[in-house]
Amino acid sequence: MFLSRHLRLLPRASIARSLGSSGAHYTTAASSNAAPAEEDSPFEIPNRIERTPTDILQALAGTVGRDHTAPHYKFHDDPFLIPMSNAAKRTYAMSKESGRKAAKWIKEEHRELFLHQEAQPAVEKFAPSMVYTENSEVDESSLQQLIAQSEVKDAVLVYNLLEQKGSPISADLKQSLLELVCFHNNQEPLPEEYIEERWFIQNNRRRDRHGKTWKDGDLAEKLYAEIEPKTPQAYASLIRGMAKYLQCERAYALLQEAGEKQIQLDTNTFNSIIEIVSYLKDTAEQRWQLCTELLQEMSQQKLRPNLGTLNAVLQCISTFGNFKLARSSALQVLPEFKQLGVNPSLGTYYYLLIIFCRERGPVSHVIVDILNDIAGKEFQIEHPKDTYFFATAMDVCRNHLNDKSLAKKVDELLHTGKNYDLVGDSFKESVYYRNYLALLCQTESIEDFMLTYDLLVPNIYIPEPGIMEEILRAIEINNAVEHVPRIWSDMVVFDHTHRESLLLSVLRIMVDNKPNAELPAQQQLPEQCAKVALDMYERVEEAMKRLRKVSFTGQMLGNILTLLVRGGNFEKASEVFAHIDKNQHRIPGTPAESALHEYVEASVQEKSPSQALAALQYAVENNMESSALAKLIHEGFTLNETHLAKLKTLVGESFLDK
Amino acid sequence: MSTGLTRVWERLPLKKQAAQSGIRVFSQQQPEIEDEEEFRVLNLRTVKQQFQRRREVRRDPVTPPRTNRMAVDQDWTAAWPAPRSFHPASVPLPLRQGFTERGAAAPSKFANAELMKIPNFLHLTPPAIRQQCEAIKKFCSPWPKGLETEAKWQRHFPVEVITTDYLQSLPTIRNLEARRVTISLKLSDLKFDAHARDKFLRLVGDRYNKDTDTVTFVTDRCPLRKQNYDYAMYLLTACYHESFVTEPWEASKSEADMEVYLFERNQSKIAAEGILNWSAKEGDNKISPPPAYAQCVEQLINEGENEYNLAKYKEEVKKMLNV
Repeated sequence: MFLSRHLRLLPRASIARSLGSSGAHYTTAASSNAAPAEEDSPFEIPNRIERTPTDILQALAGTVGRDHTAPHYKFHDDPFLIPMSNAAKRTYAMSKESGRKAAKWIKEEHRELFLHQEAQPAVEKFAPSMVYTENSEVDESSLQQLIAQSEVKDAVLVYNLLEQKGSPISADLKQSLLELVCFHNNQEPLPEEYIEERWFIQNNRRRDRHGKTWKDGDLAEKLYAEIEPKTPQAYASLIRGMAKYLQCERAYALLQEAGEKQIQLDTNTFNSIIEIVSYLKDTAEQRWQLCTELLQEMSQQKLRPNLGTLNAVLQCISTFGNFKLARSSALQVLPEFKQLGVNPSLGTYYYLLIIFCRERGPVSHVIVDILNDIAGKEFQIEHPKDTYFFATAMDVCRNHLNDKSLAKKVDELLHTGKNYDLVGDSFKESVYYRNYLALLCQTESIEDFMLTYDLLVPNIYIPEPGIMEEILRAIEINNAVEHVPRIWSDMVVFDHTHRESLLLSVLRIMVDNKPNAELPAQQQLPEQCAKVALDMYERVEEAMKRLRKVSFTGQMLGNILTLLVRGGNFEKASEVFAHIDKNQHRIPGTPAESALHEYVEASVQEKSPSQALAALQYAVENNMESSALAKLIHEGFTLNETHLAKLKTLVGESFLDK
Repeated sequence: MSTGLTRVWERLPLKKQAAQSGIRVFSQQQPEIEDEEEFRVLNLRTVKQQFQRRREVRRDPVTPPRTNRMAVDQDWTAAWPAPRSFHPASVPLPLRQGFTERGAAAPSKFANAELMKIPNFLHLTPPAIRQQCEAIKKFCSPWPKGLETEAKWQRHFPVEVITTDYLQSLPTIRNLEARRVTISLKLSDLKFDAHARDKFLRLVGDRYNKDTDTVTFVTDRCPLRKQNYDYAMYLLTACYHESFVTEPWEASKSEADMEVYLFERNQSKIAAEGILNWSAKEGDNKISPPPAYAQCVEQLINEGENEYNLAKYKEEVKKMLNV
């Protein structure tokens, strides 16, 4: 328990007022006599600086930066519980949330146990929710409350009960029920408190471009039919509902009907129709024509366009197949809205990016102008598409312009103020970082790149195998073999060790860049590389037992052999060679000749002729160049009779005679 | 093996590179001595142990503690922003605590319950406090001009009101103690005549502290703080006003009820006047004893006889009688 003690000082004036309030003659002595003699120094109390209840907390929270070694705060900060792959991140977060769901389920299931209310003031969410059945007593006020809580299912149930009883429902209430049903399409929405589910859900549900989901002839239309005479609000809510759930034809028909009946609609209703213009017309010209018609109609009705209108028009333009028309009409629209005083949001810039930076279109530098315009600004969410900006901007930086400095500017903007809230969901965040890292590893020096890599991986972003391949390529180009052990340990943690292409490139980098023992930075490298190789060997062997897809190739084993030899681990090297030798028929391909050569050299140093002869035998059996090996063996050892005999049978008498 | 290997990169010669390229140096880990001693199982019933081959569960590799990746110049306030029990994998300090056999080093920070038990102040490092003070400075208004010294503000603000807020981890945000209000003021700030002062002190009783000359009212009989505050102010006002009222029965105060000796209403005054006016005739102006004498008699009787008082009395008597 914390306590804070407040000391308040009452000024003399107020105490004198209190003591002198009854007006008795003697009390004036207290107030007036003392004051004049000593009232020498006037003082002034500065005004209180106004603050909201959470201002101080927010100021304190503002001092806390991001710790890049720590996981997101929704996870436990413990090595065993820090998620180390994208799947684990999702699993951990969702299991936490499912715990919350289980608690909620128990609360509803055993409602009799949760009727007490200990909290003061009472926490409504802790109490079990009301249950409405066919027999419950309901009236208008309960319907009103349910609509305020946006409980669609219960509201509909209560509405039906009221209908059955024949009790009257006011027009206002009916209108708000219509709005609720239209907004949610008569489906229970995902509860707001499940933030993790919201964060991960977009991965598999991309219904942006899917067909109509509007329920025809359902409650919404019934409610609408009941409202007589038709009010503008009723029209507006039905049109917006239909447009939202892509019942495009009927929404447009309703709009026209309202126009014929001279019903004044509002801006947002027009916006919703402009958004679905691409479903109503097929060609770009027709779409643009309809769009301008709608805008003209708005101006005839004296409706002031807003940000929604701007974004809807740009969305319509972004669906044009005709690049030139799209470009010109976007350039036409922008100044006009600027004149109207509509400030663009991030969503607007998102649409501009997808209009101008097309895969097949010419290269456009519109993003440079956008960034110059908005650098250092702090944004708030104003439009649903605002969260698409950052992922798209980074995509443009990488795939359209391939410009490192622009990408850094975008990243800076993302980390300005509270802009990170607009990164969207987990999918968009990972798209953003995928593009960012891929761009950096192509364009930056490997040292600078690794600094960024250290900051982002693994707590903010975990590279997918494709990006890992890009990173390995960058390392290969820069001959930066000293980073390989680090990358390999990350690959182990991220579970990338079953990708053959990744394994091959790791091995290739380590074999091709023979570490220079004279540089102090590289002295330990051969040993480390040998460790990596050995670990890889054991992992693949284990994976083969578990019937995974990955398997050894001769090339791969040859590289492992080389690395083990270079690392001075001859014992393991001969074990690996024994494996190669024994499973000749199962392993596709053969190790490189240089690998065998180095192995034989090592066995000469280790004075183990039988291993060397085994290698020679393998080379002979697999039709590889063997004379060099034989020469090496012959010169390196003083062979005894049996070994000599074997050598002769392998390469023939003629060799020794030379 | 996997953990062994995932640590491989830690031993990368990063430091050497750092010297060349200015990379941040990572903090060094104290080498951990792990002794793999298994617990012996106490087998009470000598049942044949059934060896069941358990299926080995494949576990994801555990990452090394993240302290290894912390740079020596990292922002510690970001790593440990709020109070939290100790966690070895997040604190890059080679801490040891606990008791072992003689001569052995104290247990290291890993799996050390001793370190988790004690409260730590890792979130209250001097830089953290500095940052937080800097952050909330903008909510503070400057100290009022003209009230620089304690004497000054005490003159302008004579009454102190003390209340307490409580913050607790309970379902309720209320705390009964929060209703308590304490107001205090110096008695010298109120204007009294002798009777009123006497009566006021009798009314407030032991709420008056003689040593500090303060009157303190503590009120807690109402359920709300506001009510208690109003009640305290009411008490102060009522006591003050009441002390000026002279009730009719106060006149019947006899000498036995007096709490101090007063020269004016006592026998010694009559006696002194008698002596001074020994030879005076009727109608002459009566000579009254000088105030210095009155004062020293009062002092003698109120404070008791001591050398100083007696000597003073002797002197005054001599002076009065011109001996």
